[in-house]
Amino acid sequence: MKLRAVMADDEELARRLLREYLATEPDIEIVGECSNGFEAVKAINEEKPDLVFLDIQMPKLDGFEVLELIDDSVAVVFVTAYDQYAMRAFDAAAVDYLLKPFPLERLRAALGKVRERKSPVVRTAELRQSARPPGEFLERLVVKDGPRVHVIPAGRLDYAAAQDDYVALRSDGKDWLKQQTISSLEAALDPRRFLRLHRSYLVNVERITRIDANSKDSWIAVLTDGSKIPVSRTGYAKFREIIGGE
Amino acid sequence: MHPILQSWRRFATWMAAWVPIGAILVLVTHLSGRMRWLEAAMVIAPAVAVFSFVCLSPFHVCKSLPLRSARPGQLMLHHVAAALLLTGGVMLIARFTAALLAPNFRGIETRFLAAAPVLSLMVLLIYEMSIALHYAALELEASRRSEILARDSQLKALKAQVNPHFLFNSLNSISALTAVNPTEAREMCIRLADFLRTSLRLGERVTIPLAEELGLTKMYLDVEQVRFGGKLRVVQDINPGCANCSVPALVLQPLVENAVKHGIAMMDEGGEIRMSVRHDQDRMRFTISNPFDPEAPSTGRNGIGLRNIRERLEAFYGSAARLDIELEERLYRVTMTIPVRMHK
Repeated sequence: MKLRAVMADDEELARRLLREYLATEPDIEIVGECSNGFEAVKAINEEKPDLVFLDIQMPKLDGFEVLELIDDSVAVVFVTAYDQYAMRAFDAAAVDYLLKPFPLERLRAALGKVRERKSPVVRTAELRQSARPPGEFLERLVVKDGPRVHVIPAGRLDYAAAQDDYVALRSDGKDWLKQQTISSLEAALDPRRFLRLHRSYLVNVERITRIDANSKDSWIAVLTDGSKIPVSRTGYAKFREIIGGE
Repeated sequence: MHPILQSWRRFATWMAAWVPIGAILVLVTHLSGRMRWLEAAMVIAPAVAVFSFVCLSPFHVCKSLPLRSARPGQLMLHHVAAALLLTGGVMLIARFTAALLAPNFRGIETRFLAAAPVLSLMVLLIYEMSIALHYAALELEASRRSEILARDSQLKALKAQVNPHFLFNSLNSISALTAVNPTEAREMCIRLADFLRTSLRLGERVTIPLAEELGLTKMYLDVEQVRFGGKLRVVQDINPGCANCSVPALVLQPLVENAVKHGIAMMDEGGEIRMSVRHDQDRMRFTISNPFDPEAPSTGRNGIGLRNIRERLEAFYGSAARLDIELEERLYRVTMTIPVRMHK
């Protein structure tokens, strides 16, 4: 069976090397070469390759963001100059990773892993997120918008509301649906900037204008755009803690 | 040699301090021996002159017997023995002076003997104080030196290290070039080696001449040129004539590296880095600007390199240096201003 592959790397020389190595493998067909993250998402969604070679640092979207926006059926091999320490977490979301510069044998071993793979790994949002080095908060969110990719900077996110398997991301008066649990989103964002005011709501602290009492154990947060968000007892306690801490 | 004897200023201050001490000793002699003022002054003056030098003598003993490490018994023995011996010496000089004056001042020797017990106690006390002062001064000196050492090592640690990401990507470029263009691969190896060697060498130093820093920056850009090809364009505008001005080592190259890493590398179409160095009588100004994509993904560790450079400038020049960042729509500009100092 022939494996169809897409490669994404912003450096021409790095792509040339990979192309040269892959030419020695008769069952690999390169169906796309991309120099930035947008192109990569587009090529992967259009070509539906079996395999993607993904660099981490690229213009437009980085490798992690591309990973969030593609199907589970695609086997991902990260190709990067990142150090091993940062790469450990990748195991979860990627089939393998190659550290630049790598020998042909190492590439063959990675291809071996790809071929052995029986069924696609289910990359849940949590798993995808775990690929990111720990201790870094998301500065922006990426959402698939039909064939396009929409980027929401964290500061532009008003709030997120849980809807079954999705979260609705409210930004600039529009809702963007993303397949993710609200808890994993909460874990990925800076807890000093985003507060879980309610089981189903994660709110940008800067958007809160006031919190009104509703009944004995519930409150309503009013945001700058006029949205009203229910606030639970624990949510209210968290809010008080942040305000008190300032 | 004793530090007080190393400069005339310090020596004069030291001697001046002995005028009131001498006056007190004269007073003590006058009171306890019922000597007349003139007698007391004449007897005490030569002894005090000698004593002022004697009180410098603890310097070497204190250095060889530090408070922290010397055995207390040994310490006491040395200082007590020296104190008794030297006090005895000073008293003998005074006694000798009194004997010389005896023909002109009748009974002076008897009166001196009456004053001797209190006087020798005073001399002993002053000598002990000088020991204490020496220990205090040595301690102060040691703590100041360790502060300087700490600052130096901090400066070293703050110095930008060769970025591993850059290194591995460059090696990957070499790996890619070997098959298709061996000559260029070799060229790239040499450029990378030049950069690494120079970076290691300059990293050992605290300040270097501007020309060397500019050289290193050029070596860095030569390597990146191979990686990025036409994507990376550099325009330099360097005011000649300040090649020998002193700059903190590895302060400019990291700024240019930032421009590549966070700017050019994140632009699909690449862009132009503009670098200028200007100076007048007392200031040097470096400007580095690069286009950037405001919507680019985070390149990580943003700002740490800049904070690092800012801290180093602060340690070197205090408030005389500045590092300013300006953001225009799609242009990022860093301006660094430092005082002009010639490299020794």
